[in-house]
Amino acid sequence: MPGTTNPDQFRQSFREEAREILVDLESALLELNENRTDQELVGRVFRALHTIKGSGAMFGFEALAVFTHNLENAFDEVRNGRLAVVPELIDLTLAALDQIRAMLEEREGAAESAICAGILSGVRHLTGASDKRPASVKTPTAEAAPLPRAGQIRQWEIHFAPGPDLLLNGSNPFLIFTELRELGGLSLKASMDSIPPLEELDPERCYVSWEMVLATTAGRDAIRDVFIFIEDSCELSIVPIGNVEATLAASADAVAAALEDTRSASGGRRIYDKPDNASSLRVPAVKLDQFVDLVGELVTVQARLAELAARRDDLEIAEVSEEIERLTSALRENSMNIRMTPIRGTFEKFRRLVHDLARDLGKDVELTLEGADTELDKTVIDQLGDPLMHLIRNSMDHGIEQRELRLARAKRATAKIHLSARHSGASVLITVADDGGGIDAEAVRVRAVERGLLAPDAELSEPETFALLFQAGFSTAKQITDVSGRGVGMDVVRQRVESLRGTIDVASKPGLGTSVTLRLPLTLAIIDGLLVSVSDACFVLPLASTLECIELTSADIERANGRHVANVRGEIVPYIRLREHFNVATARPALEQIMVVETGEGRFGFVVDQVLGDCQTVIKSLGRIYRHVQAVSGATILGDGRVALILDPDRLVQDALKTQSQKQAARASPRVARNGGVPGLNAPPH
Amino acid sequence: MGIALEENEAGSLVLLEGTIDISSAAELKKLLVSALGTGKHLSISLAEAQYLDVTAVQLIWSASQQAQRSGVGFSLPGILAEPVAQSLTNGGFPSFPT
Repeated sequence: MPGTTNPDQFRQSFREEAREILVDLESALLELNENRTDQELVGRVFRALHTIKGSGAMFGFEALAVFTHNLENAFDEVRNGRLAVVPELIDLTLAALDQIRAMLEEREGAAESAICAGILSGVRHLTGASDKRPASVKTPTAEAAPLPRAGQIRQWEIHFAPGPDLLLNGSNPFLIFTELRELGGLSLKASMDSIPPLEELDPERCYVSWEMVLATTAGRDAIRDVFIFIEDSCELSIVPIGNVEATLAASADAVAAALEDTRSASGGRRIYDKPDNASSLRVPAVKLDQFVDLVGELVTVQARLAELAARRDDLEIAEVSEEIERLTSALRENSMNIRMTPIRGTFEKFRRLVHDLARDLGKDVELTLEGADTELDKTVIDQLGDPLMHLIRNSMDHGIEQRELRLARAKRATAKIHLSARHSGASVLITVADDGGGIDAEAVRVRAVERGLLAPDAELSEPETFALLFQAGFSTAKQITDVSGRGVGMDVVRQRVESLRGTIDVASKPGLGTSVTLRLPLTLAIIDGLLVSVSDACFVLPLASTLECIELTSADIERANGRHVANVRGEIVPYIRLREHFNVATARPALEQIMVVETGEGRFGFVVDQVLGDCQTVIKSLGRIYRHVQAVSGATILGDGRVALILDPDRLVQDALKTQSQKQAARASPRVARNGGVPGLNAPPH
Repeated sequence: MGIALEENEAGSLVLLEGTIDISSAAELKKLLVSALGTGKHLSISLAEAQYLDVTAVQLIWSASQQAQRSGVGFSLPGILAEPVAQSLTNGGFPSFPT
């Protein structure tokens, strides 16, 4: 049935929204821990809990709603000044967020776990509530509507006109009324004035509006909080009726009269065609991927059209081709922009990590964020969590000193980790900086030699030394802790960053701190490259890592005495001949080109037949079958229909070095340590 | 949930059973439009319905209005199930569908 909604979609949508709310909630809690009297933060926490509870009940997460209801009550007490923000409350609520996450994933037994019970018991102990009182968000009936809390009661006129898409979003006005009844006595009347004739009626839109009178001790904010989940998509007014303080038993007549007044005051028909004022909408990532794929196909077809148009002497076709090229280019840019999301969500998650680790390690650490609104491709952001987590853990465990040592070094007792993001050309720089003890370059070097990662006589620059930290199995930690020290994390960081076509820079000053900067491309879906050819085969080299192009003549080859090295203005640069590496069985031309690229292993050259020009290409995955071919990061289809492989320079060099190393081992010659005085590839890598 | 349409000489009977909500709204509209299109008396049985959401209420109300405008008979025979009556009252439709 077209347009019919699926309850599972609502549940999934709720899960995603709830996860986002939890990230914000966690940040708010940690900020509240630092500023315990900040009422704005208290309100933020309360509203987040309220939204999770309300929408959780709405989408069938009943246990989650009941659990969250208890926390919401606690923060209501805080809001009303009856409970102070204490570290126990923050810790209990943080622990509760983990349980809510488990309930969102519907992990078996999550809702009934002893941890949940313990948290609730702790919260009730703080609020002074009875453990035996069951918290519930069940629907009270009209007859059993609870009386308002003791105190002064005020009547409120509420006009509620849901936006047309309220029901499609999974919201249910009846549940709103249930929540309002929890605040006090409610009288309401639905207005059917805006319901159109049957033929014109969209069956999934909401045309009904309601006029209500609520007699309650609650204030406007508390009433508004009931609508918090849908406030942006409805007409809502909450007006006190006069200034009369009603008694607890507000008379039915008065309520009815007030309703009548409200109805006449609102007057007229509601415009049910009012545009939805939501400024954004949620789209599944898979749909975006499909969209980008289709744009990629369009780019390929457009390139073919451009080539056809160039071959034909037809002005009209040429004009159409140019117009399509312009539109395709705009569409491509637009589709890439759609995938861009701020990195804030990822950054905010680390507040909790820092808070928990600081407690576990007995260190005072403050996390500061900068540039959290910097946007990156969603795919890149999704894969950044792990590397950043490892860097922060490493920083907190090894970089930041114990409090006593910091004081002895005349540093602030509270250490600082600064997480920042900023654009730099077509890249984003993400930096994790700390004001800890810095890296001991000599200790790194000694450890690398011990581990056989470095020849004892190797001479390394400081960046090369720090790069050793990211080698597999490397760790300078004297003992393995729960936090880090296994030398696994940093290797993971390198692998992940390389898979994102990124690089890592480390800077450190002894005693002052360390900063690790990840340079990442803005997007993985598109690449600026240089198109090169070897015989009939075409390859794309990422422009970002290409430094220059120089000629390789027969005379140059003779001068190198068979070694694969070139003299680039006095610097010896080893090169890899793509013809040999990819087994292209044709004779090489008299004049070849060396593309000099910067890789993690230093500068290398790739020898090709011709440089065809620059190109901006949409990357197509090679699929699962080729997932082990790491030197190739994808492929693209050229205008003439040929496929060009997109090369990963770092992996290509690693492949070549590995091949060379295996050949040397086979000849039982001494091993050449990586980064340790490799003047050039002495033998053809293939 | 279940929605069914029975037609005979006397008129059309739309039977609603279980939960009638947004997931069945398009189907309910189709049946109501079809039933009213015959120009015969329209009855909607809610006796077996357990829950009506706003979309169902809107559709039934709109159908009753259209029947009135077209001079077609309209009725809700039988007794409302308690949960339905309760939700209509709680939702601000105490004298539904008039």
